[in-house]
Amino acid sequence: MNNLYEVLEICLKDIEQGATIDTVLFRYPDLAEELRPILEASVDARNMATLAPSAEVMRRNRARVLQHAAQLRERKVRPASRRIWFASLRRLVVTLTVIVALFVSGTSLVRASSATLPGDNLYPVKRTWEDVLLLFTFNLQERDALEVEHENERLHELLEVFAIGRFAEVEFAGVVTSQNGNEWLIAGIPVVISDQTEVRDGPVSIGSAVRVEGHAQNGIVLAERVRLLPPDAKLPDEVEVEREEHEEDNSGKGSESHDSQNDEIKLESGSKDGSSNSGSGSDNSGSESDENRNDSGNSIEDNSDSGENNDSTDSDDNSGHGSNDEGGGDNGDDSGGGDNSDSGGGDGDD
Amino acid sequence: MSVYNERCTLDGLQKLDPQSIGAIYDQYFPEVYRYVRYRINDDSIAEDIASDVFMRLLEAAQKKQGPQSSLKGWLIATASHAVNDHLRRQYRRPVELLSDSLPDAGPSIHSEIDMREQNRMVQGAFAQLTTEQQHVLTLRFGQGYSIEETATHLKKNINAVKALQFRALASLQRHIGEVHHE
Repeated sequence: MNNLYEVLEICLKDIEQGATIDTVLFRYPDLAEELRPILEASVDARNMATLAPSAEVMRRNRARVLQHAAQLRERKVRPASRRIWFASLRRLVVTLTVIVALFVSGTSLVRASSATLPGDNLYPVKRTWEDVLLLFTFNLQERDALEVEHENERLHELLEVFAIGRFAEVEFAGVVTSQNGNEWLIAGIPVVISDQTEVRDGPVSIGSAVRVEGHAQNGIVLAERVRLLPPDAKLPDEVEVEREEHEEDNSGKGSESHDSQNDEIKLESGSKDGSSNSGSGSDNSGSESDENRNDSGNSIEDNSDSGENNDSTDSDDNSGHGSNDEGGGDNGDDSGGGDNSDSGGGDGDD
Repeated sequence: MSVYNERCTLDGLQKLDPQSIGAIYDQYFPEVYRYVRYRINDDSIAEDIASDVFMRLLEAAQKKQGPQSSLKGWLIATASHAVNDHLRRQYRRPVELLSDSLPDAGPSIHSEIDMREQNRMVQGAFAQLTTEQQHVLTLRFGQGYSIEETATHLKKNINAVKALQFRALASLQRHIGEVHHE
């Protein structure tokens, strides 16, 4: 069969060259009968071939094609400019949306962070926002006022941290009012200086303005770094007054106790009052016993010690309380301490 | 057109450059028209379809979907599809065309009538072939392509094209006979 196709191809080439069907078939007598109708059909097929299009057809269609190309070019340019316009608009909308979202979420974040304390997750936001406010406050007086406000806020935060008994990294500024060995009083805050404490920018003495960085713990600040501030540094002001009131409360509560922390706090009030710690404590023990009964929050740590003291002094009366101390863990100690202090005070009065 | 020139022309085509488009049209329109006209026995329809092939070329080039290498191959393939589409539409809605084959009166009127009658029969028989058979006969006898060139366009090997050509001619002959008997 392949031979037949080959022979047909040879015959077609010969006919194309001008040979007749009879001539080409003469060479293939065995296939002549089969090939003749095929070759006749090929001649018919070849006769169907048309001539090239006329010049008129060429010209007419050339114009159509080129016109179409021009339309496509125009369409190509128009959507491009429209696309650019749409892209710009879309970009603008996205940018505005992001700005609004950032503004809304940012202000919400700042608002949420305003009441945070050192150790809270959002506390850095609060501090950063304070820095931003300072950065954009160009009036010098307003800027000074804002700095003082921020320093006051640091002390407020520190008192709050003390109140909730949190261990947190803190920072505050103030004047050194007392230096009792390693125990200093700065802006009314008891600060413990250790060997690891780094004291920068010169020796610190009473009256020096310093910035303290350290950790708040059990009503004191364990200083990591104490830096001497320049004379014109902004320091907290009215907070110290509040601190005094707070200290007075604490001194009352701590009147029954003799732990070192409350001794530090009483240093300030004592120095201001000019009275001794022991005297004030004993004087106030009876009068403030009722207050301490209600103020269980502040007496958690302090009263544990006072309980011990009362155990030693009122051992006869407190056998029942002693059994409470044995039965309880920390809480037992706390509650026992509270009870003991109260009952001790009551007993004393009685 | 050399390979380099064709490459330049294709680049120009993508940019819808009028000069390149004009060159492509001048080079290939006659060939496309002949192909279409061979398969469709109507001058104006053949002209429209051939022109449409070039419109498709421009649109494909604009979408970067145009020919990458052989412009001629792309044009003939597109012409084949366009003719197939036309024939499919015509098959769905057959139209009785007014015969434009009536010869003008003249001295050789009888031979002219015989020739046109023969052509009509061949055209009728040709229309009965499959599209692939029409395609191969058009390339071989309408365009005058060699067997090798036809094989390239059909993307088949040469022996397959020879067999296809044989069957197409046999089928054409059979259909001519049928039309003749009608």
